[in-house]
Amino acid sequence: MRAKKLSLSSLTGFSKNNLQLLRLLVQQELTLRYKRSVIGIGWTLLNPMLTSFVLWIVFSFLFAGKLQAGQQFAPYLMAGILLSTFFNQGLLQAANSIAANGGILTKVAVPPKIFAFAASLAAYTNFLIGLIPLALVVYISGQSLSINLPIVFIMGFFLALFVAGIGLALSVIFIRFDDAKNIINVLLLILIYLTPVFYPLSILSEQMQRLVNLNPLTSYLDIFRWSFSGNAIASVGDFIYLAVTGIFFFVIGNYIFKRYWPRTVSML
Amino acid sequence: MSDVIKAQGVDFSYRVLTNHQSSLKTLFKDFVNRKVRIENYQALKDLSFSVTKGETVAIIGKNGAGKSTLLKLLAQVVPPTTGQLKVIGSVAPMIELGAGFNPELTGRENIIFYSALLGRDIKEVKARVEEIADWAGITDHLDYQLRTFSSGMIARLAFSTATDQVPDLLLIDEVLSVGDGEFAFKSKKRMQEIITSGTTVILVSHDLVTVAQLANRVIWLEKGAMKMVGNPSEVIAAYQLSGG
Repeated sequence: MRAKKLSLSSLTGFSKNNLQLLRLLVQQELTLRYKRSVIGIGWTLLNPMLTSFVLWIVFSFLFAGKLQAGQQFAPYLMAGILLSTFFNQGLLQAANSIAANGGILTKVAVPPKIFAFAASLAAYTNFLIGLIPLALVVYISGQSLSINLPIVFIMGFFLALFVAGIGLALSVIFIRFDDAKNIINVLLLILIYLTPVFYPLSILSEQMQRLVNLNPLTSYLDIFRWSFSGNAIASVGDFIYLAVTGIFFFVIGNYIFKRYWPRTVSML
Repeated sequence: MSDVIKAQGVDFSYRVLTNHQSSLKTLFKDFVNRKVRIENYQALKDLSFSVTKGETVAIIGKNGAGKSTLLKLLAQVVPPTTGQLKVIGSVAPMIELGAGFNPELTGRENIIFYSALLGRDIKEVKARVEEIADWAGITDHLDYQLRTFSSGMIARLAFSTATDQVPDLLLIDEVLSVGDGEFAFKSKKRMQEIITSGTTVILVSHDLVTVAQLANRVIWLEKGAMKMVGNPSEVIAAYQLSGG
């Protein structure tokens, strides 16, 4: 028996032409968002810097002294914002993508998942572009990039899986129930506040710390900060949690989507 | 002759909540009050037929008979609820042309994107973009955003892109020509060329004259079930007698 050739298309169940479409969709998502603005894609660079700057003014008085020795608040904060933006935008766009492309999906046989994957990958690409200004901030605050930098890409890959999985599961819920969006928005806000985006973990009570550590995003963020400029400590447990949650939510999201999609498509 | 489409006992139904509002709040409230009732609406009932390669089969019937639903099933957009449906080869749906066109993209980008949606190879399409635009008569506007196009131009571009490659199976929902004057004639001619070129065609139309001209076989749907199948003149005559 001949061994089946291992390729991207055999792994995802997408044909070669589907993968081309996926790439096209990611490109579109990235270019269309800023098409009408004067500085175009420059916003991807500027946006996290501006947001970080505003939050830095507000929070640096409160938290800058609370970080561990050798850590810097400005890159700490900006890393948090980049990652939470990746998660938040990717998730909402993936969840909306199926309904938004309903007109296509009810007429042409494309694997519907492709739109959610494209949204997740676009958020990942945006995140990678955001690393450029982050590197700048790292140097300005007197740190340097870590040799563990390549791990950032692996972290991003697992976060993209995580985002695509939850996005897919939410997409069927969003089509079925109009008000689910509002509830999810509140839950997302809570989840982001339970992630040490702009505060150091040490300011919380022990009970709260335990809760925040249960949040998978905390592990993703710790690994990101640690591997980019040594701005946090990442344990082996964090890596295991990252891999397990990334794969688990991807699989479960795909399963939920597959199960409910045939019934949901007639609602589009 | 090999079968391109094989349907066996195909049913399609979807569930309708008796309450029309789709919100979690009302669902929860009604659930507590035990007011939720789910009804099955059966759009297609026990369809069995097969289509061999190269045939042109027309589907006729009144509005709401399930013609468009059947096309959706054949386009593999939705799976049948029960029963088996096999469709072999590449399928090009000509159902609401231009679904997937994005007004913010240029004509060129839209040609490529729409073709990619139809499952075509992007490299091949890129080489044909100029020709597609030329056939649609929009060469001058190729690199402008689609929102600057007139609706006639959009329709022509969609038709030109959709018919650029001949698929194994063509699904047509009333789209037999687009535009006016010369282009209507040109598009109708191309359509007839494709239909007679040996491609398998499933055609949904209210235009019985065209059906009689093009089809080898006609399926008459009524209330989701097959009322009659057979050669065009017989089925159309029976359909007209029934008041269709």
